[in-house]
Amino acid sequence: MNPLIPTPDTIPVAWGWFEFLLLLTLPLHLLCMNMLLGFSGISLYSRLRGDDASRRLAFELARVLPFLVAFTVNFGVAPLLFNQVLYGQFLYVSSILMAAFWLAVIPLLIFAYYSIYLYDFRFRSLGRAGAIFIGLALLAIVLIAFIFTNNMSLALEPVRWTAYFRNASGTLLNLGDPTLFPRFLHFVVGGFAIGGLAVAVFARFWRQRDSQVAELASRIGMQTFTYLTMAQVLLGMWFLMSLPREIMLLFMGRNMLATVVFVVALVLTVVVLVTGLRRKIGLTAGLAFVLLFLMAVLRDLARIAYHAPFFRAETLQVVPQYSPMVMFFVTLIAGLICIGWMIRQVLVSVKNV
Amino acid sequence: MNYPVWYLPEIGGSTLIALIAIVHVFVSHFAVGGGLYLVLAERKGVREQNPDILAFTRGHSKFFLLVTMVFGGLTGVGIWFIISLVQPAGTSLLIHNFVFGWATEWVFFLVEIVALFCYFYTFDRMERRTHLVIGWIYFISAWFSLFLINGIIGFMLTPGGWLADGDFWSGFFNPSFWPSLVFRTFVAAMMAGLFAYLTCAWQKNTDLKFAMTRFSGKWVLIALAGAVPSGFWYLSQLPQPARTLVDGASPTIARALDWGLYSVIAILLISLVFTIIMPALHNRLVAFVVLACGLLLMGSFEWTREAARRPYVVNEVMYSNGIYKGAGDDINRQGFLSSARWVRIREFHEESLLEIGQDLFKHQCHACHTVGGMNNDIIARTANFSYPAMLSYLETIHQRRYFMPPFIGTPEEMRALATWIITGLHGKPAEAASAPASVNGEGPGAQLFADNCVFCHDSGLIKAKTIGWSLEQVRSALDKLSSLNPAMPDYAGSSSEKDLLAAFVFSLNASGSTVPMAKEDAGESVFEAHCAMCHSLAEGYNPVLPKISGWDRERIRTALDMLEKLQPAMPPLVASDQEKDDLTAFLYEKSQGGQP
Repeated sequence: MNPLIPTPDTIPVAWGWFEFLLLLTLPLHLLCMNMLLGFSGISLYSRLRGDDASRRLAFELARVLPFLVAFTVNFGVAPLLFNQVLYGQFLYVSSILMAAFWLAVIPLLIFAYYSIYLYDFRFRSLGRAGAIFIGLALLAIVLIAFIFTNNMSLALEPVRWTAYFRNASGTLLNLGDPTLFPRFLHFVVGGFAIGGLAVAVFARFWRQRDSQVAELASRIGMQTFTYLTMAQVLLGMWFLMSLPREIMLLFMGRNMLATVVFVVALVLTVVVLVTGLRRKIGLTAGLAFVLLFLMAVLRDLARIAYHAPFFRAETLQVVPQYSPMVMFFVTLIAGLICIGWMIRQVLVSVKNV
Repeated sequence: MNYPVWYLPEIGGSTLIALIAIVHVFVSHFAVGGGLYLVLAERKGVREQNPDILAFTRGHSKFFLLVTMVFGGLTGVGIWFIISLVQPAGTSLLIHNFVFGWATEWVFFLVEIVALFCYFYTFDRMERRTHLVIGWIYFISAWFSLFLINGIIGFMLTPGGWLADGDFWSGFFNPSFWPSLVFRTFVAAMMAGLFAYLTCAWQKNTDLKFAMTRFSGKWVLIALAGAVPSGFWYLSQLPQPARTLVDGASPTIARALDWGLYSVIAILLISLVFTIIMPALHNRLVAFVVLACGLLLMGSFEWTREAARRPYVVNEVMYSNGIYKGAGDDINRQGFLSSARWVRIREFHEESLLEIGQDLFKHQCHACHTVGGMNNDIIARTANFSYPAMLSYLETIHQRRYFMPPFIGTPEEMRALATWIITGLHGKPAEAASAPASVNGEGPGAQLFADNCVFCHDSGLIKAKTIGWSLEQVRSALDKLSSLNPAMPDYAGSSSEKDLLAAFVFSLNASGSTVPMAKEDAGESVFEAHCAMCHSLAEGYNPVLPKISGWDRERIRTALDMLEKLQPAMPPLVASDQEKDDLTAFLYEKSQGGQP
């Protein structure tokens, strides 16, 4: 038992509910985050190219970006909440150790969000200077990803927390962790790959309006996806090898569930590469979405393994009270119905215009 | 103690919380009220078949989107970040007890986002009735976000039945839930009007500008008419210790309430004159000024609410420094060092007094005190203390100053904290035998003075303050200290102790007393005793000299008899005529630029 790990608070329903909700909402956040990376990256690239079709593509992507920021944030809130319920005693500590950076996420995000709106709303008048805004926004987003990687990895290893006693000013990072850079690259490069695939999916919506843009989007998107997925296989291996040996071995046969999920994910990666190279966009996107969930599960299994020497979520004390959870699920269903209705109204009005 | 402390000696985490929270709350109330404003403004445009009003509403919805969704939404996440960095134990308590409250709020946040996007991007492109319904969906989900957060924030101040049963609903529908919800709803409507002033000020079409400025002015005035009584209703629901703090025992709350009052008056007057009576005068400067008043009002309310909760982060449950009230006795027995996780030294030993003291400061004081910073600087606050006085103060800190949490730990640990403050910060000796420097005299009365009074005023100052007092006058003053000055706690000693203390105080001015007067100038002492807690002299906070610039002696002297009439937030000056004369002389001399 590590003496630095805080005593956790009690939880109101069995831990499995929170684990379920965490695994349900995190992939949605990852998906939006990946699309944000891919759309900004390809929009920047297209904006920098001189031809007219690329400029039009950059604009189509710019128009989607504000939505992606909003939903990345919103879908980030839920898993962060459920993570804190189960693992708050780890996450609060690692956040405090790097508090200055962690808090910097907020101004960086505000900066990125306003830059993106400026890029979108003033696309024409900014001209090529727009590339500066989307470029800076992308830089801010990648920095945020780096801060998140530091925090999430620091939360896994309480043995690194003693650094606090040398520096309590909240300016620590987890640079000494050998998994840090492969983990960061794995998430960001993977993000750009999935984001590229999403651009290719969106190309379908533009086909009728501007077939040239649609063709361009589809081509750049799929190229991004396939090349980066190849790189991702290598990065994933590097990440795996950098994990502590006992944890790595769990995925190599020592733990049945971990190994099965890992092998399925690996096979699926090869499959999406093949379907991607053949430009079967719909199939690739569907399989990649499944892959994203598997990756979230793998990530969770690794966390459980990291925490195993100190903590298991099953040991959290439950002081049961289920009625608030009923309120949540009822609201969630009503909210989704309401959202569905609104989207339908928008589609109807778009058709009528 | 359960968590590490983010140590920012000169800034202090509480300052960061206040900064982020105040701007967020300002915008988030706009996010609620502004939704209703958009719907009703659009409906007005439809009913009057006025395309200009519809165009205005559309433009305002873009401004609304950019302010509330980006800045409001992200600073909301920012509050969550900053409280988990500065108050991790309190945040964890709120997250774990109310997780499904937060999760439900997240659903409304999601519906809000989708609704606002749909509303903004389909303006003029969707059938009008459906568009209005989407506007209503936005407003209703935004209001339910407020409903949910209001329950959890209210819980922190008035946990009510939760203290007994730990039930989600008892904590959520706590005693301040309804008054706070009604108050915040009115404030949200007011913010909607205030922010709309901005859009109005940018209109070029005069007819439209007049119409919408008046429309917005009505929002503000009607909302204000609802906010004031519901604000009092809210205050009336505060539990007793918080009431006392709000009623004047806390100088910072008194100051915050003053600012709140000024801003309400300013909002009222500006709205009446510049929007209802003469909308032609409304312009961008007016809009920014009145919006700044709105920010000030919000800041004043939030400050009061947060400060009134002291010394707790969750009333009666957890102190501001994250220590559970219920754990106090155990920690006092076992020692803080061995109970805490994030201290450098886990066993007490004399060689490390300073390190231990500093850790204790981080864990028990730094939640509110900075070291050499702007906010609650511990160095300035303890400048008059000797080591024994510091120790004695720490022993009874919570009894003396309710809004300070008690020191928790063993007497040895308390000694370490006192040593760090007195020696580590001030470089003074930390010797138990060193006589309190600021008490001159011997005997039981002097001892009582050293134990109870010297933390805020030394004997020289009291000597100056009680010149010409009879023994009876001194003795009766000891029975009603808080009525002499609301910031002074009543003396809880027995009647015979009061007699001894009175005799000592009286002896200070008796012939043959060797106690030196604190200051050469009696007027300066009166200023320090009565005015300095809210006023500086020439520069700094709320300086007095600029206010009386050009006044003659007569005018100053008259003003001192009617302070409460000059400024309703100022208490009357309770001082003898001689003291008032001394203060007059001092202020007059200073205002002439001369030395008294």
